[in-house]
Amino acid sequence: MKIAISYPPIINKRGQKAMVSQNRNVQFFKTPTYLLPVIEAQAATWLRNLGYDVYWDDGNSQLKSLEQWFEELVEWQPDVVVFESTTPVMKFYWKTTNDLRKKLPETIFIMAGYHSMKRPQETLEKSAADVVLKSNHVDFALFSLIPFIEKNPDWRNTCTIEGFTIRVNKTKIRDTGAFRQVQPLEKSPLVDRDLVGWKNYAYENGNYLQTPGTYATSVIRDCMFGKCTFCRYNGPEFTFSKMSVKKSLDEYETLINKYGVREIFDDSGVWYRGSDARAFAEGIIDRGLHKRGCYFGFNTRFEYLDEETIKLLAKANFRFVLIGLESASDETLRRLNKGYQNQYIEPSLRWLTKYGLHPHLTIMVGYYWETQEMLDKTVKFVENLMFKGLARTLQVTLCTPLDFTPYHLECLSKKVLLTKNYNDHDMSKIIVKTPIPHERYYEAVKKMYSIAYHPKFILRQILFLFKFHKRDWQFLFTYGWRAIRRVRQHIYNLTQANSEA
Amino acid sequence: MNTMQRARVVEIRRLSDSTFILKLERNKFKFIPGQCVNIGLVGSAVNREYSTYSGEDDNYLEFLIRKVKGGTVSEGLSKLKPDEFVTLDGAYGKFTLVNPAGKQKYVFIGSGTGIAPFHSYVKSYPKIDYQIIHGIRFESEQYDRQDYGKGRYIACVSKGKGGDFAGRVTDYLKKIPLPLDKLYYLCGNRAMINDVYDILSVKGINGSNIFTEVFF
Repeated sequence: MKIAISYPPIINKRGQKAMVSQNRNVQFFKTPTYLLPVIEAQAATWLRNLGYDVYWDDGNSQLKSLEQWFEELVEWQPDVVVFESTTPVMKFYWKTTNDLRKKLPETIFIMAGYHSMKRPQETLEKSAADVVLKSNHVDFALFSLIPFIEKNPDWRNTCTIEGFTIRVNKTKIRDTGAFRQVQPLEKSPLVDRDLVGWKNYAYENGNYLQTPGTYATSVIRDCMFGKCTFCRYNGPEFTFSKMSVKKSLDEYETLINKYGVREIFDDSGVWYRGSDARAFAEGIIDRGLHKRGCYFGFNTRFEYLDEETIKLLAKANFRFVLIGLESASDETLRRLNKGYQNQYIEPSLRWLTKYGLHPHLTIMVGYYWETQEMLDKTVKFVENLMFKGLARTLQVTLCTPLDFTPYHLECLSKKVLLTKNYNDHDMSKIIVKTPIPHERYYEAVKKMYSIAYHPKFILRQILFLFKFHKRDWQFLFTYGWRAIRRVRQHIYNLTQANSEA
Repeated sequence: MNTMQRARVVEIRRLSDSTFILKLERNKFKFIPGQCVNIGLVGSAVNREYSTYSGEDDNYLEFLIRKVKGGTVSEGLSKLKPDEFVTLDGAYGKFTLVNPAGKQKYVFIGSGTGIAPFHSYVKSYPKIDYQIIHGIRFESEQYDRQDYGKGRYIACVSKGKGGDFAGRVTDYLKKIPLPLDKLYYLCGNRAMINDVYDILSVKGINGSNIFTEVFF
């Protein structure tokens, strides 16, 4: 069987490309950041290992136009096409599936992604898709489904594997039940870097201080916490699964030795903590990987890592630490179920910077309850952290309800959602009723991005140079210029969307 | 939504060398049985999630905690004295019973301290029809066995003597009939949940009837 795992290039009317961004949502940018979809890459690897002919078809990273991508996919004549979509590009995927169906009448179209898994019937009604995966464990789902389809011509009627909604015929849809929430992650293979064209993702990523960089096969599936209301990893469909420290270390060793990677980021929703984090850092040191000029990075949460663990991570040459700072308001943190308190943000960051790591803050504004006072508090708090050198970089986005997360459902039930058009969920504008005009939130975003130009911030970066860490020099002279370009783009995006609204 | 961010320690009740119950002042803290709460040491900037152990109507909060070797939070909590404080955030999560007042029958399967949410269910909803299957290493880990109804608690002891079944939870489940119409709640370590899930699937239990909460 010929299986294509496909990502069409999506370009909006302003010529910006759809990219995966904060909270794994889609955002449109002119300057690309190509992120390897790790779970799908594991799925591709697994299917190829089973003997299937797999076509890794990421039109974005392969720099194809939509037309070129479409023609080449049709020409390849796949038996199965697997898509992954989210709310803001759902309509695009439905149309694309319908267009492809006309050219590929016998092909089976499978839709994965956080939106359709919550509303499978909708996708089967609005598009020519044949199957909707009710799980984000695309690798495990395809591993069981594809062989079944191959061996059973009447699979639409006979498939009892749980976790799918299947189109039986023009009028009938079948649901096979809930997908398994906890998977033995050891079974899913490490990503085959050659199969997915790893170099296409190795350079255009603003978070890399050194290139080539790459994303590790994620050690955590879903989230260890999994309670934040705005996040996709929240709901009865999700728990969490964990890969062994050894397996991950083996991959890092291969990435450094075989591929010459100089920065590795693990994009697990939340990376290891406690004894696992310490065992990983010790493993890096024991294998001598900390002296190979490769930086390591991960996502974490406030109040997750203690000082001893952070110290060990620093010794193992960890650098980039991405942390969500959703608000400085404790009320907002509570409403979002964040599980940390404002008073512990600064101590956590102080530990990270004390040992030379580079914290990157991901901030959100525009919650439907966020007052001017809450907003001002967040802006002031972030400025203070950046001026003190307690965080090195930041990104700010508009909190956008999507993919039927608890926050999305809350917005629907409270009738504060201002649009029914899925395209509007692309984080380019606020789409909920708020206690203050939307312009105030846009101003706050600009203000926080403008910290990068502030003399106090620049002076702080210069002072870091006197610690004589290579990474601080790289930060100022390599990353600094790149960051300024990106800041301008973020501000442009907001201004454009705002003026067109 | 709870606004309380600190709670006073009432008592540390030691159950074994490594396991204890942290009893806190309630102060109108709201939770739904089965939810978890983030607990930390005041001033430490590190917290961890623990499932509620006490009942919804109890006038105190209880958490069943296993001391993890090298674990900053659990070791620190075990050393607390009455009248000291902890930080508290929550309660969160959906590992709760959908309709505890209904006639639904439940099978609760837990390993070690994974029995905590089930204890909270039983204390909160005394009329529910349930069976608890508890996987433990030693007989001494049958925490608060007397709180469960007669015949409703089965201890599967994998090391040493005692309990109701000599062997692992998985061995026990393979030997007994598992009705398809019950709801199965699994809580504890990943390996146990993976293995139990496989057994339930083989015995025909649909994934829609299985709910999981992974501790580590």
